[in-house]
Amino acid sequence: MPAVSVKGLRKSFGSLRALDDVSFEVETGQVFALLGPNGAGKTTSIEILEGFTGRDGGEVRVLGIDPGDRHAQRWLRTRLGIVLQELAVEQFITVRQVLERNAGFYPSPRPVGEVIELVGLEEKADAKVKTLSGGQQRRLDVGLGIVGHPELLFLDEPTTGLDPAARRTTWDLIRRLSAEGTTVLLSSHYMDEVEALAQNVAVLARGRIVATGAPSSLGGRDRGRVTIRFVLPDGAIPAALPVTPSAIEARAVEIATDDEVAVLARILNWAIERGVELSGLSVTRATLEDTYLNLTRSDTDEPEEEEGR
Amino acid sequence: MSEHTTTEAPKSGGPRDLGLVAHMVRYEQLFFWVNRIGAVFTVGFSVVFLVLLGASAGNSRISYLGNIKLVDYYVPGFVAYGVMAAAFTTLAVSLVVRRETGLLKRLRLSPVPAWVLIAAIFVSTAIVAVIQVVLLLVIGRFGYGVHLPTSIGAFVVVLLVGIASFAAMGVAMSTVIPNQEAAGPVISIVFFVLLFLSGLWFPLKANSGLAKFSNLFPVRHFILAVSAPFGFQHGVSPWAWHDLLVVVVWGAVATVIAVRRFRWSPRRS
Repeated sequence: MPAVSVKGLRKSFGSLRALDDVSFEVETGQVFALLGPNGAGKTTSIEILEGFTGRDGGEVRVLGIDPGDRHAQRWLRTRLGIVLQELAVEQFITVRQVLERNAGFYPSPRPVGEVIELVGLEEKADAKVKTLSGGQQRRLDVGLGIVGHPELLFLDEPTTGLDPAARRTTWDLIRRLSAEGTTVLLSSHYMDEVEALAQNVAVLARGRIVATGAPSSLGGRDRGRVTIRFVLPDGAIPAALPVTPSAIEARAVEIATDDEVAVLARILNWAIERGVELSGLSVTRATLEDTYLNLTRSDTDEPEEEEGR
Repeated sequence: MSEHTTTEAPKSGGPRDLGLVAHMVRYEQLFFWVNRIGAVFTVGFSVVFLVLLGASAGNSRISYLGNIKLVDYYVPGFVAYGVMAAAFTTLAVSLVVRRETGLLKRLRLSPVPAWVLIAAIFVSTAIVAVIQVVLLLVIGRFGYGVHLPTSIGAFVVVLLVGIASFAAMGVAMSTVIPNQEAAGPVISIVFFVLLFLSGLWFPLKANSGLAKFSNLFPVRHFILAVSAPFGFQHGVSPWAWHDLLVVVVWGAVATVIAVRRFRWSPRRS
């Protein structure tokens, strides 16, 4: 049984189609990423899976339970960890106190001391929440998400606003939870994060899934075009090259091709025959970021908006 | 994975949920008392008002209210104020702030059932109100020699009805305030205008125009209902049924509004 299964999910807010025929599955034990620009429907999807927002159509199962079923919701929520964006924590009590309060909500919580250590807030454990920095508050958010010992953890942009070191700490934590068997569904717009953590990814753009797969093969990027770059050797003219370049700027040559082995062979032979150097020679495949930008291109012209809720 | 993948849902309800209410109440109390601004505004104000007004009242009497001592008038007045400040003002402001900052949404997403959260908030509000009442009665009794209510039964009933009704009005009020910046000022102005019109500081003559206008609202009625069990005026029943009824009607209407309009998540533009 998959931890999460979504088929044909639809949701509108007034005339705005927030989600349109969205389908994906998250295998138990996996780290799964929902990728997409702001307003693509990531938060709406996650809130439907949590049972906080209703849906207009489609089949949804979370840990085998329909999150829209009010009677099952409480039982479901004892097994979920939820880390949303922009939710405050009570400001005037300490980190330990707020974790202890929330631990009391669950049948078998993780010990509060362990949570504090996992999210790296040892030195702030007895400080008031209002004294935490933005990054520390975000880590407390994650701590509140895992204090109930969840089987499935939702992380809505867990590292937005964190400095690089804190991001790495959070990544390590996600890997550690995953190794313990926790299924993780995260949303993000950081490509490196998705590449580093997720086994599978679904790309959302304007409420629709535009691609799914492993980050390494997303959108056919393992098979697609590669770009060969080098600097035109002194004395050579572009017309002398054995392959027509796709672009030349100040002697920097760029050749895009699907057939990189043959094209490279011709260029290398040409260079060897003439005894010239090809300085700055590089062969690159589309990065996840290129692929993502391509997949979601139509969205980038529109103004960024908050996720509809 | 397998160690916590049980398929049977545990039973809900029963003693475990009452334990959860108690757990929540403990933390609600902690939030209230560690946030000194809220605690001072609620509990501190009523105590300071009573002390100052009690001191300035001296031995004055109110000729048009059966010649009772002014300080005898103030003690039940500020007991009523204390209940309303805790149940209406403080509750309404804190609900708006908690809704708009996402604290309520966070709780709603936890496994705690909605009724447990609501019960805990109400019980915690009642605890604050009762602590204030006790404090004010002690100050009145030992500071100004005001005797305690002669009809304890009526006094307790009026308090409980007042706490429940004004808490309902507080929740209803919170649903019409759009953002946390407006919450404190708007709610305080509404409250203080009604208090002023209700004769809390300056006793009203029963048939004055101001009293008639003020009679449309629950504040003056509640002050009168709290005063009756003190038995300052001879021959007056400790049960101010009519006044209590007005408070209950306001509470009932507020409950309908609160249930219909209550939201857990912030309003976002």
